[in-house]
Amino acid sequence: MSPMPLLAVEDLETHFRTPRGRVRAVDGVSFTLDRGQTLGIVGESGCGKSVLSRTIMGLLPSNAEVPSASRVRFDGRDLRQMSERELRGVRGRHMAIIFQDPMTSLNPVMTCGAQIVETLTYHMGLGKRAARDRAVELFTAVGIPEPARRVDHYPHQLSGGMRQRVAIAIAISCEPALLIADEPTTALDVTVQAEILDLLKRQQRERRMALILITHDLGVVAGHTDEVAVMYAGRIVERAATTTLFARTRMPYTEALLRSIPRLADPPHTPLQTIAGRPPELIDPPPGCRFAPRCRYAAADCRQLAPALTGDRHAFACWHPLEVAS
Amino acid sequence: MVETAIENVAVAGEAEGLAVRRRRRRLGLGFWLPVAWIGLVVFGALTADLWPLPAPETIDFLKRAALPGTIGEIELAGQTELSEFRYLLGTDNVGRDILSRLVHGARVSLLIGLLSPLIGLLVGGALGVLAGYYRGRVESIVVASMDVILAFPALALLLAIAFYLGPSLPNLIFALGFLSVPASARVARANTLSLARREFVLAAKAMGASDLYILVREIVPNVLMPLLVFAMLLVAVLIVAEGTLSFLGLSVPPPTPSWGAMIEEGRELLDQAPHVTLIPAAAMCLTVLSFNLIGDRLRGLIDPRESRL
Repeated sequence: MSPMPLLAVEDLETHFRTPRGRVRAVDGVSFTLDRGQTLGIVGESGCGKSVLSRTIMGLLPSNAEVPSASRVRFDGRDLRQMSERELRGVRGRHMAIIFQDPMTSLNPVMTCGAQIVETLTYHMGLGKRAARDRAVELFTAVGIPEPARRVDHYPHQLSGGMRQRVAIAIAISCEPALLIADEPTTALDVTVQAEILDLLKRQQRERRMALILITHDLGVVAGHTDEVAVMYAGRIVERAATTTLFARTRMPYTEALLRSIPRLADPPHTPLQTIAGRPPELIDPPPGCRFAPRCRYAAADCRQLAPALTGDRHAFACWHPLEVAS
Repeated sequence: MVETAIENVAVAGEAEGLAVRRRRRRLGLGFWLPVAWIGLVVFGALTADLWPLPAPETIDFLKRAALPGTIGEIELAGQTELSEFRYLLGTDNVGRDILSRLVHGARVSLLIGLLSPLIGLLVGGALGVLAGYYRGRVESIVVASMDVILAFPALALLLAIAFYLGPSLPNLIFALGFLSVPASARVARANTLSLARREFVLAAKAMGASDLYILVREIVPNVLMPLLVFAMLLVAVLIVAEGTLSFLGLSVPPPTPSWGAMIEEGRELLDQAPHVTLIPAAAMCLTVLSFNLIGDRLRGLIDPRESRL
């Protein structure tokens, strides 16, 4: 094992200044990720998953603030200390991100090929010809049929799945060490979802990239990640190897998430299991465990003091974790 | 840009070849007739000196306000002797050939109608894109100064320029260009605001693109099309504006022919010789209508495409 992880996030906080007050969208998140590993980050909408990924990439809007104690160490360097100019050399070249909606993440007035070529000429110093050949190679790698023809097509001429493949091709064009996929399949239909996830997995293995797979879908995480972090209200509430997390769930929130997945074996018209209530306001969160108001196991002490994320290989933040038969 | 729009569609390849043809046809006569008319006007303006016509200032005192088709004796351009000449569109109230004044006047109308919006487009477009992309203080300054220009009475500005700098064609072009800056800036800013929030801009940033790159390669090409459609309408407005300014004596000084001046001069004879006014008015009307129709069709062409992005 390499002594130093590729990505080490330490006590990361991201706040947004809003007219109503300070929103703590990410509130003390720490994790590490090694080369070639896949980390799944799961949580409901608004739990801070996307903000976390944008904070790592340094792509926050101007009303965001990251306290100076937060560290994002990438390949031994602290990204938070870098100038915008230095960051530009890292983004795209060493770390890349794929967004949720391939309908809007490609420039509508540039051909798909041109969008890769520009990246390759900028970061890798390739000539126009070489970059174009490389673009065709990448299109082949991500499974786009007739790649030589498709590079000259505009995004609106491709289907959603094809566009997401183009977005992946752009993201992996410079062989980044870290790839963040922010809900890469949410906007796609189910059959295409599986293809895209398999594609990501294959590319990740071939290129030994580290992959952060952000999703609200536990089913996506199950087959495609080595480790899973469950986020709730800006914090990681449970983190474990994927098989462990599913087999020995300790955190009631994770259990609630698992229970809300509809099962094929259920008879028709079975009511969907939902988690009652809504996630807490992040402007002035209540003291104690943030899940307590919605937790079926919550006791009085849960509302007094927030539990810390404890544990080494299987970490969870809960005063009354679920019992697991050992 | 018409070409690029059609090219964009054309690269669709054989499979979509039919759709392309259908789209071209959808442009229809309502597009190609105006294009033909504008082409004719541009051709006339460019070749005005080569036509076998009397110079626009040559006066035939014997044939004043003559009807179309009247034959008179006059010096043709480049000749010294009098020769017989048929006034195809008649003569104006002092006896000048209307057709000759019309083709020469097209130069003024086109120069004003094309150069002024170009100034507005370049300056206003750049300011609007910067304001919409950088927000904050840049935006406040740009928006505030545009509001000042908009609030300033345009006629007072034109009067001031005519009095202090003299009523010349370049002055008029710059003045009208200056006045069309705020509107272009608003269109550019509004489009940039929505574009800058689109994910492909964030995606470009995530791939290491600089602000300059994003502005030039991601924002501007996307703002250009709506801005161009807006410019088509601006062209029409400014051609009419030239006509209006002629009535106030703020357009090009006589005897330089301009359509606005021709309409204004014919006004006195409107009851006896309406063609002196109506012919230049018709030319202006057709040109303005053509630019409007072209702008309209272009918008129709890009809008459904935009919705499919």
